[in-house]
Amino acid sequence: MTTIGQLVLSGLLIGGIYALMSIGLTLIFGVLRIVNFAHGEFLMIAMYGAWAMTRYLGLNPYYAIVAIVPAMFLFGVVVHRLIVMPALDKPHLVVVFATMGLSILMQNVALMALSADLQDVPPILGGRSFTFGPFYAKPELLIGFAVALACTLGLRFMLQATYLGKAIRATVQDGEAAQLMGVPVPRIFLITFAAGSALVGLSACVMMPLFSVFPTVGLNFVLIAFVIVVLGGMGSIEGALLGGICIGIVQSLSSYYIAPAFGQMFFFMLFLLVMIFRPAGLLGRKGEATLGIND
Amino acid sequence: MPVALRSATFAVAAVALLGTAATGRAQEPIRIGVLQPMTGPATKNGTENYTAMQIARDMINERGGVNGRKVDFLLADIPTPTAAISETERLTTKDGVKITLGSGVSLLAVPVSQAAERHGVFHWETAGAADIITKRGFKYTFQVGPAAYRYGQAAVDLTLGELAKRLGKSPADLRIALLWENRAFGKSVGDSIRAYAKEKSVNLVYDEGYDQFLTDMTPIVQRLKDVKPDVLIAISFPNDAILFQRKAKELDFNVGALVGVSAGYSNPDLRDSIGDMVNGIFVSDFAARVNPKALTPDTLKIADEFFKRYDDKMKRPPAGHASSAFSATWALFTEVFPKAKSYEPAELREIALKLDLPEGSLANGSGIKFTNNDWPTDPKDAGQNLRASIGVWQWQKTGNNQVFPAKLATTEPVMVPLPNWSQR
Repeated sequence: MTTIGQLVLSGLLIGGIYALMSIGLTLIFGVLRIVNFAHGEFLMIAMYGAWAMTRYLGLNPYYAIVAIVPAMFLFGVVVHRLIVMPALDKPHLVVVFATMGLSILMQNVALMALSADLQDVPPILGGRSFTFGPFYAKPELLIGFAVALACTLGLRFMLQATYLGKAIRATVQDGEAAQLMGVPVPRIFLITFAAGSALVGLSACVMMPLFSVFPTVGLNFVLIAFVIVVLGGMGSIEGALLGGICIGIVQSLSSYYIAPAFGQMFFFMLFLLVMIFRPAGLLGRKGEATLGIND
Repeated sequence: MPVALRSATFAVAAVALLGTAATGRAQEPIRIGVLQPMTGPATKNGTENYTAMQIARDMINERGGVNGRKVDFLLADIPTPTAAISETERLTTKDGVKITLGSGVSLLAVPVSQAAERHGVFHWETAGAADIITKRGFKYTFQVGPAAYRYGQAAVDLTLGELAKRLGKSPADLRIALLWENRAFGKSVGDSIRAYAKEKSVNLVYDEGYDQFLTDMTPIVQRLKDVKPDVLIAISFPNDAILFQRKAKELDFNVGALVGVSAGYSNPDLRDSIGDMVNGIFVSDFAARVNPKALTPDTLKIADEFFKRYDDKMKRPPAGHASSAFSATWALFTEVFPKAKSYEPAELREIALKLDLPEGSLANGSGIKFTNNDWPTDPKDAGQNLRASIGVWQWQKTGNNQVFPAKLATTEPVMVPLPNWSQR
């Protein structure tokens, strides 16, 4: 029982981290209906940013959030203006190739500039865990889970209760009508893409005390992020949280009870099952794949 | 001018011209295609190996080259197995290269050697270790570094000898766990450890492979906590080795001794990442820097020069794979090339097969004796270096010190049993 409890707890907490790094991708996909293939590399540069601030300014990586989140917002603005916006009214494949090209470019620039060395920041509390009876949990994972939860709630609040949120939802529901009603649709796209990038920056700061950063680190996470976006419901913010947690727990239990070599296979099986029986995702609604972020 | 004198003048001029032409030809560099992952997941190994190879090239060229000819490298980046094939093909068909050096990691050495063999190119492998490399009936592939099974054997030999003694258990009672990353190298070493353990009548209480992209080590560490091993032998790459160590600390998994195999545990990044937690971990690896007494006096001078140059360039000592890259490349330049006239693959192959260098002839303590379908243990094996040095070193407070086998060792093993996390 202790073993199952530990596996579920660890799966839940790592699932929170998966969800957190997918929320930005979900937001972008939900509003712009594009897949950002450079999502993993956005995470990589933000992690390097958090690492550099810890290493050279002696800051706790969580304090780096103050600088990294706005910096990634600006980075998102630049990428949207230069790469995404010109491709938005072109066939869908153009965005796919544009963001994929950006991903390869970013990886290689990082390799040239930063070498392939793995970089880390020291763990908080000297790497010690909290113990709850027989269960262990790292404080970094608990913080990550809390941030994922806060992000989901915050984003939902923003979408429901603020003017910007209403404008975003209006844009998703009917872009042309929204534009006729005075919603500046191109600016909504820009803000959403930048906000999605900023969320990647936030998750990078939370992930930095847990994982090493290196130029290809994005590859370890991006596939999970894509699966979470689809599993959760193609743009559903709460779905992303639920999807992340599901994947974390399924991976944890299947790796323990069956084999760690097949951990990924089982969450892909879960993914396939959901696609067969609930094609709109766990919290998505019928037709959401074409509709966008849910309201 | 009398006819005879004119003819003599022509003859002298012709000889002089021919001489010039011959000198011109002699000055042409020997071109070698170097295949390394300079980008992609194995970049770290690739860049370090290439640095070591460049040092060997610079050292030989500064000494006047080989038979009066300089050595020239044509570098090709091979981030993936697909690129490994296409780049080897490009170097051989477009650039006309007939000698290749490589290839970073086993995963890439397998396709590089395959493409090289298809074009009849002489391939000198310094890092790839998977056993399959020399078991495919190839004529022109020579694996100068140790084959994967020997990493496993070294780890098991250390465990059953030195570690069992220090843990106060008989080898038969020792609980050994085996954890391996499931790509070419990890699987190859894992298979060899399983087979060798069986041969030694040792029971493995845990034997699991895992995917390189696994981001959460909880299930593995939890299983290990359940089986309570005395010794854990782990074949990992850098990122997963770090994740494993952190998770072991988080879940308070303690073990009497941990023997890592190669890349993940030998990488200098490990100390940067987990700090002093690294102390006490054993690493079965290419020998990086061995006991100077194990080297011949001439080799020792070359080794010292290499270590100094590497340190100047990279600001840290070489890992075992870089040391192997240098040693093998230097052997190619000083033991194979000087005996060559045409530098054609068939000729180089004949020279390589005749090499009979005792252990201690290369900077990393290796000798050279290649199999050629004549090795009783495995008659289907060709091109494997039976005298490649392998050993076990340990992360210690004073640095990475060779502890096994005794003849290569520079110091005694320490921290056995490994203190619990609360005391580390």
